Amino acid sequence: MKKLMLGNEAVARGAYEGGCDFGSGYPGTPSTEILEALKDYDDVVVQWAPNEKVGYEVAMGVSLAGKRAIVTMKHVGLNVASDPLFSSSYMGVNGGLVCVSADDPNMHSSQDEQDNRLIAKAAKVLMVEPCDPEESRWMTKEAFELSEQFDSPIILRMTTRVCHQSGLIEPEERVSKKEKFFVKDIPKYVMLPANARQRRHKVEERLINALKFSNESDKWNPIFNGSKKIGIITTGVSFGYVYEIMAKEASILKLGLTNPLPLERMRRFAESVEKLYVVEELEPYIEDAMKAMGFKVFGSELRPYTGELNLTLVERMLKGEESTKITVDLSDVTINQRPPTLCPGCSHRGMFTMFRDMGLKVMGDIGCYTLGAVNPLKAMDSCMCMGASVGMAEGLTKFAKENDKVIGVIGDSTFYHSGITGLIDMVINKSTGTIVILNNDITAMTGGQPHPGTGFNIKGEDSPKIDLAEICKAVGVKRVRTVDPYNLEEVKKVLEEELSAKEVSVIIAKAPCVLTFRVNFNKIAKVNLDICNRCGKCIRVGCMAIGEKDGYPLIDETLCIGCGICVDVCDPLALSLVERK
Amino acid sequence: MEITNILLCGVGGQGILTSGRILALASMDANLDVKMSEVHGMAQRGGNVDSHIRIGEKVPSSLIPKGGADFLVSFEMLEALRYLDFLKPQGMCFVSNLKITPLGSSLKKGASYPENIEEILKKKAPVLKIIEAEKIAKEIGDMRMVNVILLGALSKNLKILTKTNFENGIKARFSPKIAPLCLKAFERGIENG
Repeated sequence: MKKLMLGNEAVARGAYEGGCDFGSGYPGTPSTEILEALKDYDDVVVQWAPNEKVGYEVAMGVSLAGKRAIVTMKHVGLNVASDPLFSSSYMGVNGGLVCVSADDPNMHSSQDEQDNRLIAKAAKVLMVEPCDPEESRWMTKEAFELSEQFDSPIILRMTTRVCHQSGLIEPEERVSKKEKFFVKDIPKYVMLPANARQRRHKVEERLINALKFSNESDKWNPIFNGSKKIGIITTGVSFGYVYEIMAKEASILKLGLTNPLPLERMRRFAESVEKLYVVEELEPYIEDAMKAMGFKVFGSELRPYTGELNLTLVERMLKGEESTKITVDLSDVTINQRPPTLCPGCSHRGMFTMFRDMGLKVMGDIGCYTLGAVNPLKAMDSCMCMGASVGMAEGLTKFAKENDKVIGVIGDSTFYHSGITGLIDMVINKSTGTIVILNNDITAMTGGQPHPGTGFNIKGEDSPKIDLAEICKAVGVKRVRTVDPYNLEEVKKVLEEELSAKEVSVIIAKAPCVLTFRVNFNKIAKVNLDICNRCGKCIRVGCMAIGEKDGYPLIDETLCIGCGICVDVCDPLALSLVERK
Repeated sequence: MEITNILLCGVGGQGILTSGRILALASMDANLDVKMSEVHGMAQRGGNVDSHIRIGEKVPSSLIPKGGADFLVSFEMLEALRYLDFLKPQGMCFVSNLKITPLGSSLKKGASYPENIEEILKKKAPVLKIIEAEKIAKEIGDMRMVNVILLGALSKNLKILTKTNFENGIKARFSPKIAPLCLKAFERGIENG
C-alpha cells in the first residue's frame, strides 16, 4: 500500500528496507529528519553524534563489524567528515556504508551552497542521486548492496527540494542478508603508506568496475525516449522539471548513479540526438564531462550558476524566453520582508542586546543565535562555520586595538561539535580572550535535537550529561562563570569583569530554549503610556511581540511570554511585568 | 488530467505544513498522485513559510511556478500579497483576515504594514475570498482550527477532491480525540467558502 512520506522519511524507510543496522549523524537542515524517522524502526540502532566526523567514524566501525550503517549530514557537515571519508574510500567496507550529503542549493538554511558531487568525485566513491521520495526509498535501499558489491562507501546526494518534498512511496519488506562479522585484514584497513599505496590501485579498479555497471544499468540511469531532435541529460530534482516540460518533445537520459558517470551511455545518448542539453543545478558536473568528450552541449550558460532550478527556469532554458507565464503585477506595491527572528522570550535576546549596547566585537557561530546579527540587534561581526567563533575570537583578540573588546559567541551544541579544540588552543597559547557559550540545553535551530549536554538521547532515553563548565575547566580555563541571561545587570557585570581579565575566560549563559521546552513565564509586559518617553529601546531588542504605534511600544499579548528583557532595558520604567491571567 | 496547483502560505508556526499534509492525504484518498514541498529550518523562525501542493494523475515535480497556481490559500493578509504572483490569471485566492506585522516594519520609517491591504488584494487578486478564520476558530473554541477552516473554504471550490477525501485526510492526520473538532471546523470553513 502506498504511503505519503517526506523525502527524508523515505531515506529512513529505504535504509530500514536495505537491512541497515545502524544510523548516526549530526543535525543540519535539510538532513535532520532522516535519523529522526529512522529511530522509530525496530532493528536499527540510531544515535546522534557530537559532530559529523565522529558520526562517520562510528558508522565506519559498524561497517567493519560486518553490519550496514548510514550516516547523515548536511553538505557542510561533509566537510567536517571529509577526513574519514577520503581514507575510508581506500579502505572500502565490510558491511554496506551509506553517507547522506544533504546539499542546500539556494542556501535556504546554510552558509554556502557547495556542490558535493565534486567531493564524491574527489574521494573516488560511488554516488547516487534520487529525484523524489520514492527514488529516495529505493536508491537508499539498493545503495547498501552497491556499497558491498563495489567495496565502496556510497554518497547519497540529496538536495533541499528532495529532502523536503513529500510524495507517495511504495514500501517493501526489509531484506534478509547474510550475516557478516569483523575480519582482521591489516593491508585493507590499516592505512600505513605502504598499504595505502596498494589500496590506491583497488580504488581505481573499483571505479572501472562501477563504470561498467553504471554504463549498463537501465535501472539507475534510465532513458526516456521521445523526439530525437532534442536530448536532455539530467539528474536529481531537475529531472522532475525536465520530464514535466519535455516528456514528449525530447529524449531524456536520467542519471541516478552519478559517480562514476556512465560516460559510454552518455556518449551513445548524445550521438542519438540532434541537439543536446544538460540540466543540472549548481556546478556543471555532467556538462563538463560531456564537453571533455568533445560534445557541443547547451546547459550552464542558459541558467543561473547559483540557486535552484524550477519549472520556469527550465522552461526558459529549453524553450527560450517567450514561454513565460502571465502573472499578477506586484511592481507597484511595497511588501515588507519578513526575516526570521529570535523567538519571543528567547534567552539569546538579552545577551545580544547587551553585546550591542556594550559595543563588543562579536565573533559568532552557527545556530539560532546567528540571528543576533540581524536588524535591530546587529550584534554579530562574523559567522563562518561550526566552531569558528572560538578560534576567530582568539585571533582577533591577539591583534585587536587597545580599546576593542572582543568575544566569541557559540551555542552549546556547536561547542560540543567543534568548539572544544578551539578553547584548548586559547589555553595553550595563553589567549586573554573571552568566550560566551549560549547554553539553551538543545540543538535548537534544527528543531530541538539532543546533544551531549541534554541528558537524553534521540529516543528520549536518559543518557550521561556532559557538563560544559567541567569541560572548560578540564582543558585548563580557570575563569568559568555561569550567568542568567535574563538578568541583564548580572550579564553586564560579568562581561566587564571577564573582558578585563588577563587570561582566557568562559561565560556560560544558561537558560532553556523557550520553543523546545515550551517555556512560559506566565507574565505579560505592560506599557504605562503616561511614563513612556518613546525612546525606542524596547523596540530595538527585536522582539516579535513588540510592535510600534506612533513611537510607543505595542505588546502582542498572544506572543509575549513575559521574559522581561524589554522591561529591563526601559530606563523610565514605563514597562512592567504583570501576571498572566 | 492537468495538474492542480495549490500554494499555501503564511507565517512560521501558523500550521501551514499541517494543512499541506491534510491536502496530500486527501489526494491519496482520492487515488491521485501528489507532491508537496515544504520549508524547514531557519525560515520557520517567524519568517514567511510556504508549501506547494501539486495533485494529478502523475506529478513529476514539486514546485509551482509563478503564474501557475490554481489556488492560493494564505493564513495572513500581507503574505497573500507576497505570493499573489504565483496565481494563474483566473486563480482563486483564499485569505484569512489576520494581520501580523513583520518585525522590521516597526523599525523603518514609512515601511509599516500596508493599511489598505484589503483594497490592494481586491484590486490585484483575480478572484478573492476573505475568510474570518480567526473569528470562526474563536467561536469553535480552538485557535488552532484556523488551518482546517481555510481548507474547508478551499474544498468547496476544489473539484478534484470530494468532501469525503478531505474528511479522511483529516482523520488520517489527527488523533481520534481532536479529529471531531477539526471536522466541525472544516464544515464551518465550507459554509464560509
